Amino acid sequence: MYTTNHKDVGLLYFFTSCYFGIVGAVLALLMRVQLSVPNNNFLNAFYYNQAVTMHGLIMIFWFLSPIAIGLANYFVPLQIGAKDLAFPRLNALSYWLYLAGGVLAVSSFFVPGGSASAGWTTYQPLAVLTAGSGPTLTYLGLVLLAVSITLGSVNFLTTIIWLRGPGVTLSKVPMFTWFFLFTIIAMLYAFPTIIAAFVLASTDRILGTVFFTTQAIQPSILWDNLFWFFGHPEVYIVLLPAFGIIANVIPQFTGRPLAARNAILVATALVVIPLSFGVWMHHMFLTGIPVALQGAFSIATIAISIPFDVITLAFVESLIRGRVKFATPMLFSLGGVVLFIIGGITGVFLSSPVLDRVFRGSYFVVSHFHYVMVGAAIFGIIAGIYYWLPRMTGHMYNEKLGQLHFVISFIGFNILYFPMNLLYDMPRRIFTYQNVGNWAMLNGIASIGAFIFAGAQILLAWNVLHTWFRGPQAPPNPWGSPDLEWTSHAEGMSPAANTSSPAPAGGWIGQLSSAPAAAAASAEATPYAAGEHAHLSSRPLQLSVGIMLFLAGAATWPGITALGLLVVGGLVVIYAFWEWAKDDMHGRFTMPDEAEGERWPFGGVPKLKLGMWVFLSSEVVLFGSFLGALIFIRAASPNWPPAGSIHDIPLGTVNTLVLVTSGLTMFLAIQAIRQGDQRRLLGWLGTTFALGSVFMGIKVSEWITLGTNHFVLTNPTYSLAASAYYIIVGLHGAHVTAGLIFMIYLMKKTSSGFYTKENHEAIENFGLYWAFVDIVWCFVFPLFYLL
Amino acid sequence: MYSGLLAAPPTVATYSYLLDWYLFFGVGAAVVVISMLAVFMIRYRDRGERTPMPKHKTEGWKIVLITVLISVTILSAAEYQTFAAFGNIEIPSSALCLQQTGSPCVQVCVQAFQWGWNYTYPVNGMTCAESYNHGLYSGAPGNLTVPAGRDIVLNLTSTDVFHSMGITMLDEKEDAIPGRVNQMWFEVPSVQVTASPDVLKVVCNPGLTACTYVDAIRCFELCGVGHATMLANLTVVTQASWNAWTGGQSA
Ligand code: HEM
Ligand SMILES: [Cu+2]
Ligand SMILES: [Cu+2]
Repeated sequence: MYTTNHKDVGLLYFFTSCYFGIVGAVLALLMRVQLSVPNNNFLNAFYYNQAVTMHGLIMIFWFLSPIAIGLANYFVPLQIGAKDLAFPRLNALSYWLYLAGGVLAVSSFFVPGGSASAGWTTYQPLAVLTAGSGPTLTYLGLVLLAVSITLGSVNFLTTIIWLRGPGVTLSKVPMFTWFFLFTIIAMLYAFPTIIAAFVLASTDRILGTVFFTTQAIQPSILWDNLFWFFGHPEVYIVLLPAFGIIANVIPQFTGRPLAARNAILVATALVVIPLSFGVWMHHMFLTGIPVALQGAFSIATIAISIPFDVITLAFVESLIRGRVKFATPMLFSLGGVVLFIIGGITGVFLSSPVLDRVFRGSYFVVSHFHYVMVGAAIFGIIAGIYYWLPRMTGHMYNEKLGQLHFVISFIGFNILYFPMNLLYDMPRRIFTYQNVGNWAMLNGIASIGAFIFAGAQILLAWNVLHTWFRGPQAPPNPWGSPDLEWTSHAEGMSPAANTSSPAPAGGWIGQLSSAPAAAAASAEATPYAAGEHAHLSSRPLQLSVGIMLFLAGAATWPGITALGLLVVGGLVVIYAFWEWAKDDMHGRFTMPDEAEGERWPFGGVPKLKLGMWVFLSSEVVLFGSFLGALIFIRAASPNWPPAGSIHDIPLGTVNTLVLVTSGLTMFLAIQAIRQGDQRRLLGWLGTTFALGSVFMGIKVSEWITLGTNHFVLTNPTYSLAASAYYIIVGLHGAHVTAGLIFMIYLMKKTSSGFYTKENHEAIENFGLYWAFVDIVWCFVFPLFYLL
Repeated sequence: MYSGLLAAPPTVATYSYLLDWYLFFGVGAAVVVISMLAVFMIRYRDRGERTPMPKHKTEGWKIVLITVLISVTILSAAEYQTFAAFGNIEIPSSALCLQQTGSPCVQVCVQAFQWGWNYTYPVNGMTCAESYNHGLYSGAPGNLTVPAGRDIVLNLTSTDVFHSMGITMLDEKEDAIPGRVNQMWFEVPSVQVTASPDVLKVVCNPGLTACTYVDAIRCFELCGVGHATMLANLTVVTQASWNAWTGGQSA
């Protein structure tokens, strides 16, 4: 439970996401039953809308991405010869936040009014107008998930850049790790936007802000831009890990190297990732955007399909003059490629704004994205499961059963989704229909396919569990792979002495510790046996539970239970932080030391600092999204209060100066410790703290004045301006407050003489954070006060 | 229809022509690439040879270049067809309609709501906002009624949440969004169009001066529990019946 070991966390992710996958699948089957015949009344609209919404959210956010993260947790460190992730406790925190978010989301089924029901796309204003605390629970759960993913990306990015073992140069990094690197880069800059979007939606629901209820500013358009700016990168986030697996698997079963490996990497890095942030309006062709814009986004969309053509063709070409072995991982990889081709091509149909008048909102779109998200992504993931099962369990799976699983899955999949291409005139997300044209027949076929496809997955589950508990011993490197995750394992400790990761601590699932081939296992376990308890931390779990309770309270507000949840949750959070800090003060948690490995091109940057930079770059997108929303609202709002009429400009200016000065004093603090002067460090830290507190003090006084001057949410004249002001300035204030709290910790550590000339990373990193907070204010201030 | 330089709304033919292009390229590409995969898979299957593998060049930049060139060509050809149809989806403003299409457009104001559609037919060149509070023609209630053979412009908005109006028998669709007016335009060539599979049934009056297409209009964006039943009928009338019905007040 308290583990922070990457393999354990990987398995936790794996099994938890399988669980959510089953929940999502059950919802899907319920929908297919309802739609199997016209005029059915198995599910009514109320339940159907919940099913269709939660199916999408759970599958995308709590199944597809996390299962890939699980595999990555397990195998990225192994593939690059790292002992663990860069920040093991952060990793555990990511997992627990993911689970906490999932619990919130799933629990929403059981509150009165039911779960979210406005579609996974959560179109506004429907989503904020739907009553009940269920949707709020789901949306807050999603925020937690997004936070978890952001933290995870920081962690993985630092790991892959900084923790590669000796000899693991970038050119030797296996394809799965490469593609996971691309995935997390996309995550890092896409997820902050979804945090912003769902925070705004949630405050509308809980606090009564009016971002999405003010018709005059066209909130639907605001939402569409926020959501799809995130949403399109998200579809690649789902896809790319699977492509990594496919690229990793194919050469293993052809015996020849992957064709055009570098071209694939270049195409993904330079075209797919950057451009994925520039095509979002293809989801908005019919929202009334100008025809020129439709054309531009249409071109961008087909442009982004070109690197995929390159990748697909490279996969195909990789078979030439090889010796293709049809083992299960290979079958799923090739099957995934075939389905991706079909899904990609329907995507090109959708890229035409003119044809979109036919396809938008219809089952054609449903077919398109299931071909890519289920066909390519899930097939790829399944390939990975079979491929790595021997490494995870030490046992070999049943090959015949695996092949049967593939055949039934592939056929069932096409029976399920191909008919939907022909249902291009049927609206999606309708709970029932009358028999128009051949809708009844096509839907009937699809429903049969759904059961075939779902049934096939029972074979997978059986095969995995059977392998785990009863499978025959697997050879150490069954596929003859040159990648580190197999070779370091097979050869014990020899060339890669410091590249294998420690064995799972404690073994939460009985088999783990005994699973890997005995020799290798003991070889792995020995160096850490003594310090194993140092690898455990209960704080991530406590913190996540605390946050979860708190958010549950917020979602169900008002009420006595809600109040209880808020208080208990808040206390648990404080306790967890407090103890976490104490752990650190006393050095209770230790990480395995990292050998000097390959770090190009960031060799000169310390690990934590790299992590901080990565994190802040993601924060830029977070604030950017909020400020972008603000600018949208300002531009669309017919009567925004003029500058100076609400906010006290002189006071605001003074306060800005205070904050900027504190940035300066923080800089002096860093200078002090660089020269090893602890007393001066303490002095300047204290000054910074004092200035920061003054800033917050003035903020509070401003808010009180504003409140008494009727600049409040409930005042119709100002409701929109007040919403924006309180949320965005509040978010910044929260960052300042977090900084102040952390400063107390730093000062405490300073006074105990912890920081020295050589060892003061934490101070430097905090300096970065503080500078960032200052800079953000320099954007926030003019936007609210001066313009 | 495509009379010289005059603008015209897209028709079913516009879409099927375009779709044929995409199908041609799309199905073609899928068949070629998937067959390649199948052929290589079988041709190079493992036959248990014991001879060592031939050495491979890993970096096939040439094949990459060829792929890119072919993709660019095909995709631009498809995109070109899309752009060629842009002329049809650009809608003239009501003031310029006569000038650009050769005849005045029939403006209809549509308000989507949970869960249905309201139609207002502005008289004497009024805007939609002005017309909402004025009297309507007494049409068949609930039906969108339009004259055949004319350019119809729907001005779509919503009074509550995001909806999307689709008239699939005409292959037309546009979002109806609160706080905003979007336009969609089309022409129904005659009162009785060839039977379309997308409507539940067609009911025509004996003189064939009006046909009603039952459930021709659907909502294509999830808008709450009534989404599936947010259906409406389209009634197409002759120009003469239209004139009689509107009393000549409409264009
Ligand atoms: C060749 C590549 C692709 C192109 C050109 C493409 C294009 C499009 C377009 C234009 C739409 C909007 C359709 C509409 O709402 O009317 C769309 C929807 C969608 N695509 Fe793709 N796509 C491609 C690949 C992918 C991939 C790889 C994934 C995921 C793994 C994906 C997932 C989705 C999803 C989830 C939606 C629907 C979102 C919704 O409305 O719920 N697409 N795609
Ligand atoms: Cu997209
Ligand atoms: Cu609807």
